[in-house]
Amino acid sequence: MPHSPVIHVPKPARSSYQPQRPLSRSTLLQSQVKHFRDLEKDLPLDQQTGIAIDSIITEAQAAEYIRRMTNRFHRPPGGA
Amino acid sequence: MSAGLDNLKHVVVLMMENRAFDHMLGALRAADPRINGLVGNEANPDTTNEPAQVAPLAEFQSQLDPDPDHSFPAVQKQLFFGTPGPPAAPEMQGFVQSYWDQQHNVAHSRKIMYYFAQGKLPVLHGLAQNYALFNGWFASIPGPTVCNRAFAHYGTSFGQVNLDIFYVKDAGESIYERMLAAGHSTKLYYFDPSSSTQEVVNLLKNQPQIFATYQQFLDDCRNGALPDYSFVEPNYSDHPGDDGGELLASDQHPDHDVQAGEVFIASIYNAIRQNPDLWRSTALLITYDEHGGIYDHVPPPACIPDGYHAPLTDTNNMPFAFDRLGVRVPSILVSPWVAKATVVPGPEDPANGRVFEHASIPATITQHFIGNYDNRTPREKAAQTFLDLLTDVMRPDSDCPAFSFD
Repeated sequence: MPHSPVIHVPKPARSSYQPQRPLSRSTLLQSQVKHFRDLEKDLPLDQQTGIAIDSIITEAQAAEYIRRMTNRFHRPPGGA
Repeated sequence: MSAGLDNLKHVVVLMMENRAFDHMLGALRAADPRINGLVGNEANPDTTNEPAQVAPLAEFQSQLDPDPDHSFPAVQKQLFFGTPGPPAAPEMQGFVQSYWDQQHNVAHSRKIMYYFAQGKLPVLHGLAQNYALFNGWFASIPGPTVCNRAFAHYGTSFGQVNLDIFYVKDAGESIYERMLAAGHSTKLYYFDPSSSTQEVVNLLKNQPQIFATYQQFLDDCRNGALPDYSFVEPNYSDHPGDDGGELLASDQHPDHDVQAGEVFIASIYNAIRQNPDLWRSTALLITYDEHGGIYDHVPPPACIPDGYHAPLTDTNNMPFAFDRLGVRVPSILVSPWVAKATVVPGPEDPANGRVFEHASIPATITQHFIGNYDNRTPREKAAQTFLDLLTDVMRPDSDCPAFSFD
């Protein structure tokens, strides 16, 4: 992009990363976990994660559950 | 039809999370009085009845913790505190009182009035000052995320005002189904499988073929393979990446780092900007799903009902017929065909003001790509569309900024 005026974007602080943040602080992530649990109930037993959502207490744990459930329905090319 | 509209092949919508207009953009009024931001003397009473005034003291993180309540009942308090309630006009006087309800801490509750100082958000402020800023873009519902995001996909939430799973009723078709049926390409890009989508039941389960990841979005931009219509979701959680690296939530939902969202917005912009063919043929709308319980000074206006009534159990027994909008949110339209520093007037201009909300998204996409289409709510049919902001003049590169990163 030659000749474009440039706006500099600062990097977030390293301390911003808090995967152990309690899930109880986000109603949005809690609801997302519940939505996936609602989907999971309709899956055959051998395709369910075996994860009890009551045991999910951190943001990273929620992300791992959501990853496993998302992959049940949509697996992006080259994705995990 | 403008030359900008003639050249338009792609529309990209990026929907961020939970920030109010004044909180993010209110400071810009000092430099441009056309922007309906903050004068500086706006205030709400705290629980000791002292005025809590707005202040340019917003921080990127750790200030709005716990997450401010933005359930339907809480938002009604934020809007109608000190009034008899609907149908009286909202006075926007209950934000501090509502935040106090969560911790009973007077000093902390006053932080809900904080906003970002001019220049503290170089990406959002830079885009607002270079492209088209909407003074009157409102959340579709005075409530939380899921029902508001539903309006961006369906033009309705099918009667829901909360975070529960919503179910499609009355044969409503998502904008993605409409596009595919009309022979157009469309994708909903989520960040990665660990972040996924906030629209899971109706879309991920039933239409997995429309989904792709943020990495695919970057690849599609680079390869000139972007669909006609794209909807992009940010990263909703802090989690490790596949390589063990740290992936920061970029949604800006409190208490996630606002700067991470700035980087994400800039990366979406740069991906489009760096492909010259894509840049001249794409319009990018950046918006937020709702205000997240944070202060804004503009009372949400009435709107055309969508034919549903919310269950009284979800509204604390307040009747709600989807006949008034939620709190105002930041929205910016980016394109080289948009005149520099456009400010689209809102309710502050009774003669020329225009009111937008998330039903404006499917309304605009349908109008541009599909044309006549009847199977949608009266709300969406009545919604303002925004592509008329594209002009006959394409601005040169020297007039359109690029972002650089640390």
